[in-house]
Amino acid sequence: MSALIIFLPLTFLYLILKSTLFSSLPVPDLPLLIVFYMAYRKPSIEGVALAFLLGYIDDAFSGGVIGSTSFSLIFIYAATRLSSGKVQFSTPFVRAGGAGIAEFIKGLIMYAVLRLTGLNVHFSGWVFLDSVITAVFAPAIITLFTRLTSLTGRDAFKDNAN
Amino acid sequence: MREHNIVVTFLKKNQLMLVSLALALLSLHLALTDKRTGAHGTLANEILSIAFSPLQRVILGTHDAVTGVWSDYIYLVQAQEENTTLKRALAAMNEENNRLKEEVNLDSRLKEVLKYREGAGFKTIAASVSGYHADRWTRTINIDKGAKDGISKDLAVITPLGVLGMVIEVNGHTSKVLLDTDTRSNIDVIVQRTRVRGVAEGNGGSALVLKYIQQEQADDVRIGDTLLTSGLTGIFPKGLAIGEVSKIEQSPDSFFKSIEVRPATDINNVEEVLVVTDPGLSSN
Repeated sequence: MSALIIFLPLTFLYLILKSTLFSSLPVPDLPLLIVFYMAYRKPSIEGVALAFLLGYIDDAFSGGVIGSTSFSLIFIYAATRLSSGKVQFSTPFVRAGGAGIAEFIKGLIMYAVLRLTGLNVHFSGWVFLDSVITAVFAPAIITLFTRLTSLTGRDAFKDNAN
Repeated sequence: MREHNIVVTFLKKNQLMLVSLALALLSLHLALTDKRTGAHGTLANEILSIAFSPLQRVILGTHDAVTGVWSDYIYLVQAQEENTTLKRALAAMNEENNRLKEEVNLDSRLKEVLKYREGAGFKTIAASVSGYHADRWTRTINIDKGAKDGISKDLAVITPLGVLGMVIEVNGHTSKVLLDTDTRSNIDVIVQRTRVRGVAEGNGGSALVLKYIQQEQADDVRIGDTLLTSGLTGIFPKGLAIGEVSKIEQSPDSFFKSIEVRPATDINNVEEVLVVTDPGLSSN
């Protein structure tokens, strides 16, 4: 539950700012970073549920195709979980790389799902830009997540859980 | 009993994978059944709308005010450090000036909208934009009028310059508008000069693409041609501007031409819109 308490308000704040002050600026993908962080720290049902919920909220808030972001975030959760057995996301550089790749894969999955629904979307260079921006901001944002979650003092967010 | 234990052990061991799979399939089901209608998520949208629309409006309003103060006030503060009293008075006047400028701008925009509304020939409701969603895969805006103001789904949303989009989701006091540049948007159009019919489809970026016109008719389309609504779908009144042909390319891998259309309305400059509640009153 602690993850919901921390990350849900953060996501709402992010979505509000993204639709107002930063509507014309490229911003890091916060829901993706939350899912990435939850996945590499510790496997949990809460993490998967959060991935679904954040994706659903993102789609509902922005008027996108409901389910498309949820699907991609759940995929990212599973992929990050599997890769965390081989890669230690413990340094800023590795975290940035991991988040950037995750954002790129999310773009690919979104594209595939939307094409599957029959929409004539195009895979554009924006996906690369989003990946770079998310990667650049990932280390700082993940550090913020670590500090926020450490405030709860719960086992679910042990720093060395990975 | 032993088989039961095996099943329970399997479920416990793989619960994360099974939950992930179930949620992924649910997400995919939602996506495949909700591509155009926005039928799902009504409760979630209602909650989000009630909780966050006021915040979005406050933030947008504050942003406009702060931007004005920044450009007029902060610069003066740096230039006139020696005169604090005068500076404060000037700042206050600037702030007041900005506020008045905003009011004059708003007044001027509303007058323009109202003038257009009176001469339009169809019934409309005026609304303000309360949020922009220009993601990579989505182009929508929020407006501050909803079901309680008489808005319903599938109504046209326009500005004095032309078509902006269509209402796809209605909550109590807010609505979501699918912009004509979203890939889910298809509008029946005619080319003003040649009267050729086609469909303007959003390209997911900042433009539209003219589709479904015959090859020989496509050859006659020129850069600068204006596209108008045909009025045939019953959503958009006839004769509203959709945009202007901005690029014509012969696709290297296709027999057909790619015709790009620049929207008549620049979403970055839109703050007030009109929702067409009765297009039947037009002269089409």
